[in-house]
Amino acid sequence: MSAPGPTDLQPIHTAPDSFIKRYIFSTDHKVIARQFLWLGFFFMAIGGVEAMMIRWQWAHPGEPVPFIGNLLFGASGGAISPAQYNALFTTHGLIMIFWAITPTLIGSFGNLCIPLMIGARDMAFPKLNMASFWFAALSGGMVIASLLCPLGPGGAGWTTYAPLSTNVGTPGWGQTWLVMAIFFIGLSSITGGINYVTTVIRLRAPGMTWMRLPLTVWGLWLTAILNVLFVPVLGSAGLLLLLDRLAGTEFFVAGALAGANAGDPIVFQHLFWIFGHPEVYILILPAWGIVGDLVSFFCRKPAYWYKGSVYAMVAVSILSTVVYGHHMFLTGMSPLLGKSFMLLTLIISVPAEMLFLNWIHTIWKGNMRKDTPMLFTLGVIFVFGLGGLTGLHLGTISTDLYLHDTMWVVGHFHLTMAAASFLAVMAGTHFWFPKYFGTLMNERLGKTHFYLSVTLITLVFMCQVVVGYAGQQRRLYDPYIYTFLQHLQPLNQWTSYFAWALGATQFIFLYNFVHSVFWGEKASENPWDVGTLEWSIPSPPEVHNFNPIPTVVRGPHEYGDPKFMEAVGRDYLTQTETIPPQADEPGRHESGPEPLSQAGK
Amino acid sequence: MTRFTRCFHTALATFLGAWLLNAPAFAAVQPEESAWRMPRDVSVEGHRIDWLIDITTVFITILFVIMCYLLAVSFFKHTDGHEVHYDHGDGKKQITFALSVSAVIFLWIDGNLFYFSIKDLSEVFWNFDAPEQREDAVRIQINAHQWAWDARYAGPDGEFNTADDVVTLNDIRVPVNRPVILQLAATDVIHSFYLPNMRLKQDAVPGMINPMWFEAKETGEFDIACAQHCGAHHYLMKGLLTILENDAYEAWAAEASRRSALAFDDSNSELQWGWTWKEI
Repeated sequence: MSAPGPTDLQPIHTAPDSFIKRYIFSTDHKVIARQFLWLGFFFMAIGGVEAMMIRWQWAHPGEPVPFIGNLLFGASGGAISPAQYNALFTTHGLIMIFWAITPTLIGSFGNLCIPLMIGARDMAFPKLNMASFWFAALSGGMVIASLLCPLGPGGAGWTTYAPLSTNVGTPGWGQTWLVMAIFFIGLSSITGGINYVTTVIRLRAPGMTWMRLPLTVWGLWLTAILNVLFVPVLGSAGLLLLLDRLAGTEFFVAGALAGANAGDPIVFQHLFWIFGHPEVYILILPAWGIVGDLVSFFCRKPAYWYKGSVYAMVAVSILSTVVYGHHMFLTGMSPLLGKSFMLLTLIISVPAEMLFLNWIHTIWKGNMRKDTPMLFTLGVIFVFGLGGLTGLHLGTISTDLYLHDTMWVVGHFHLTMAAASFLAVMAGTHFWFPKYFGTLMNERLGKTHFYLSVTLITLVFMCQVVVGYAGQQRRLYDPYIYTFLQHLQPLNQWTSYFAWALGATQFIFLYNFVHSVFWGEKASENPWDVGTLEWSIPSPPEVHNFNPIPTVVRGPHEYGDPKFMEAVGRDYLTQTETIPPQADEPGRHESGPEPLSQAGK
Repeated sequence: MTRFTRCFHTALATFLGAWLLNAPAFAAVQPEESAWRMPRDVSVEGHRIDWLIDITTVFITILFVIMCYLLAVSFFKHTDGHEVHYDHGDGKKQITFALSVSAVIFLWIDGNLFYFSIKDLSEVFWNFDAPEQREDAVRIQINAHQWAWDARYAGPDGEFNTADDVVTLNDIRVPVNRPVILQLAATDVIHSFYLPNMRLKQDAVPGMINPMWFEAKETGEFDIACAQHCGAHHYLMKGLLTILENDAYEAWAAEASRRSALAFDDSNSELQWGWTWKEI
């Protein structure tokens, strides 16, 4: 059940003495978590500015971009050219997925939360962990290099579909750098994933059984497994694509431009989506885990049907590997295969529904504390609800015939992968800020940021769903070339106004974040009254986290039990505390071996 | 021949030629009016897709409103010292309830989607036997390339890649109330042939031949669009779909074929990018 000999595996390590070892090439998971957080926010800013420029193009196609146009697009008089526009949406997608959401939600929260929440002193492989961050940083440099290439940056879309991504469609080093960057960020995900998987299996504190793990750890662990299994598929596709680009092979080139040994562009799509569909769950599972924990923490109630949430997340992880074909319904896929993928895709909505039911049940009849992390958690549920529901039309072939590759798709996946993940990143950042930096973020600014962000992000992406419904394709430099789209310009302009307002809103967060890191209110050990292990140690934790390594006696969600409120003088029990014997009732608070008939009465 | 007759004949030929070959010049694609609707549906079967999209949207709206209602009640009422209902939610009854609700939602919404999608695909959209068996079917081969659509009609002989083939660029004319079967190929990168007013699109992939079919129920002019990012000028890959009355279509097809045959040169293989019609 419990991890073998925790103290043998994890000696107390001393803090490194040099600046470089401490802050640059650090093996401390908490430092690496902070590095990933800064890296992620840095690239989120770049990707965000790109989004603002894309929105400019859809509001006023071909007109000079205000403020930064002359600086960035001087050759075209400040206006974005078609090739530059392609580079913008290509790198916007790649940067947001691989260098903004992945480093924050997985790289940073994974590094911070996994050891702290399972009671470990560090990751299983600290040096590999350091490598994981530096692969990410290196690949980020490659993305920036790709933007500066003479023949222009890569522009084949974040999906880098061949043959467009081969020399047939995008010659020059820009696209090559991008593909190499994807390969190296993949290396980062794999090394990080191996670490997460191993750490959760091997380094759980005594008594931290699987069914006592916080849902956040479950989400991160399942994400890590999917990363380890499927990022290598992306890596192999990337390598073959690089061979096509650099060595003259034709794995993915076909048609009139191919030589004698033509390959098959569809094979690339299979490889890409075998990775790509698990990837969307990779980006949301940690968010689901965080939501599952935070609704319990802040509504002061046990997580409703904890095991159900765990099983649902496991089911989603497994199903996520067999639904990817719904991205390819229109490629000329065999009808039987298409219909099978449709059925599997629809089935994946069942575990998602169970998660929603559990969250709502947890919130219902609780005692909600409307702190910023809770607000952002509600935001995740709200936008993910919209995003998940708008996905139904896309997982079904006949409706996808019309909606495929329209802005409906863009709105849908932004609501799930962008809005929900972003709000979850915000929830987690506000929540764990004391463990990152030892301070608290400003609540008033946090709440202002929340209300503006959630309103605007919903408006932006729902408007995209609406123009998709009206038929607008994604990735158009100038949609109003088409007569049937001309009437959509006012709506698109409004969407852009919302988007720019959303962009401007992020300065509130930027100020709050930077100010709180350096001048924030000092946080106590446990400012949120939460019982998981990371709140039993100082904020920020010492280098070795725990001394001694704690012994866990119950699950992570023990809130509001009327039986113990008097005995302990508060409404929650930590995962480690033992209760005055007269109040205890054996087996009652074990989430693990507890018989169903006794629970929840 | 008098000068007047010559002038008259020239004028008549110009007018007829313009009418037959260039009918679209007299009209234009009608802009849509409401941003909240799908484009005008001019296909016989498009209503199936519209209905399934709209009914699903109604269903999910119901679910979403219920969810928001529950969240709102909790947000405003179950707070500020509200007494916590202590409950782990893992009793048999509660699990049964959760599973039943999930099952009901699944059978209701996903079941509806799955049933009607399979039905519509089998009966119409992926059923190529039905249009192929109809004698009045029009067959067109489309070759997509950066950044235009080539279309090829077999001409009176019914064979593709022959002298009487009609070949057009970004100009596809079809008759109303007759099935139109398209086979799509691509030269360079992947494109996607998108007919918003027919509710259809299909990828054109290098090395593959992909079919699609539709039947128009109204005449008029409509956009042909590319839906798959295909390079710098993807957005310019626009064509014109003209739906004509049957007589007008036949007249145009005959005249265009006659002219093609006059210009055909057997030794120029560039003119023969078509393929033998593929059995699906």
